Amino acid sequence: MISMPPSEHDLHAYVDRQLSEADQRQVETYLANQPDVAARVRAWQQDAQHLRTALSGALQQPANPDLDPAMIRQRLKHRSRRYLANVALLLLAIGMGGFSGWQAREMTLLSAAAPMADALQAYRLFAQQGILAADYQTDDEGSMQGWLDRYFTQANRLPDLSGAGFKPVSGRLLSTEQGAAAMVVYQDASGQKISFYVRPPGPKNFLLPRGSRRDGDLQAEYWSGPGYNYAMVIPSDTPTVQRLKQTLDF
Amino acid sequence: MNELDDQLRELIPRLRRFAVSLTRNPSNADDLVQTCLERALSKWSDKRPEGDLRAWLFSILYRQFLDAHRRSRRYSRMLEFFTGRDDAHPSAERSVIAQSSLQAFDQLTTEQRALLMWVSVEGLSYQQVADILGVPTGTVMSRLSRARQALRQLSEGEITRPALRILK
Repeated sequence: MISMPPSEHDLHAYVDRQLSEADQRQVETYLANQPDVAARVRAWQQDAQHLRTALSGALQQPANPDLDPAMIRQRLKHRSRRYLANVALLLLAIGMGGFSGWQAREMTLLSAAAPMADALQAYRLFAQQGILAADYQTDDEGSMQGWLDRYFTQANRLPDLSGAGFKPVSGRLLSTEQGAAAMVVYQDASGQKISFYVRPPGPKNFLLPRGSRRDGDLQAEYWSGPGYNYAMVIPSDTPTVQRLKQTLDF
Repeated sequence: MNELDDQLRELIPRLRRFAVSLTRNPSNADDLVQTCLERALSKWSDKRPEGDLRAWLFSILYRQFLDAHRRSRRYSRMLEFFTGRDDAHPSAERSVIAQSSLQAFDQLTTEQRALLMWVSVEGLSYQQVADILGVPTGTVMSRLSRARQALRQLSEGEITRPALRILK
């Protein structure tokens, strides 16, 4: 039994019909003589009513078969088997040199070891293996510069490689431990790809002296500019690329 | 088992609606419902819920939303930087939540939305809500009172603005 006059809590309980029959009636009687309180209570009731009406439509969504319990049971049953399969895939991926979540980890670990190893890693994953689609694609050099400028305001201009037949075709954003990085892929008429890579220098990746490093079938040329580290990644030992290296002053 | 599946099927539209009110995005909402059902079905065998199945499911869904929300907030700033726009409020939300009373509702905090959803829309008892949130019923009532006042103020804002425009 509630006491009169009803407390704030009692009034809410009245609105929500959570009082006993007797209390509910008692509050009604009270409200009949208290127009101010009654107006407040009525406003709450109306808000609740509006909410119920507005949200009733959300119950009429077309069914989503993925949410059917039978389907979910089936998925749960296969889960343990799939879990093992995932573990195998992950081991394989680590063996191959990084994939998805491990890719980032791998990059971080490598970046401590060798300068701009993440640039090479990114080239392998995105330019050579095509594991992830590009974030940005274009035929137009100017718009590629615009895309890059959205993320790296003070970065070096994209190098003009058209003399050697290379044009920027796609861009991809990546994350490193120190923040966002980007890779722009250039391609020539024969489908050869080289990449321009920008990343923030981190505690383990300070500004770099100009240098060059060979890693397997790839060659990385790296340097630092205002605020960022840069790398060009080029497949070594191909004639076109040898020509490119001669025409350009890295 | 089949009896449970039927009960679950009946509740799915309510779970989806609740999930939309939390995530404000239909496809995220369905992902949330799916994880909730997976969890419910895998827990069912060893930990049968006491009492109302609906309140139990709401509670699972709510906790999973909070967990996911906490996790995603860590990435949202970075995402914003990458995409150059605020992905936390996708345009799909507008199509689901169009009406003006929902616009006010939408501006409430997560817990306030959940509270009004449970009490005003789904008609759960204060005790059930207290169990979900793990707080005494008195606390539920105080928070509910604040949620109602907030909704009131927000919807009054919605109503007075166009009225002023007409007078101009």
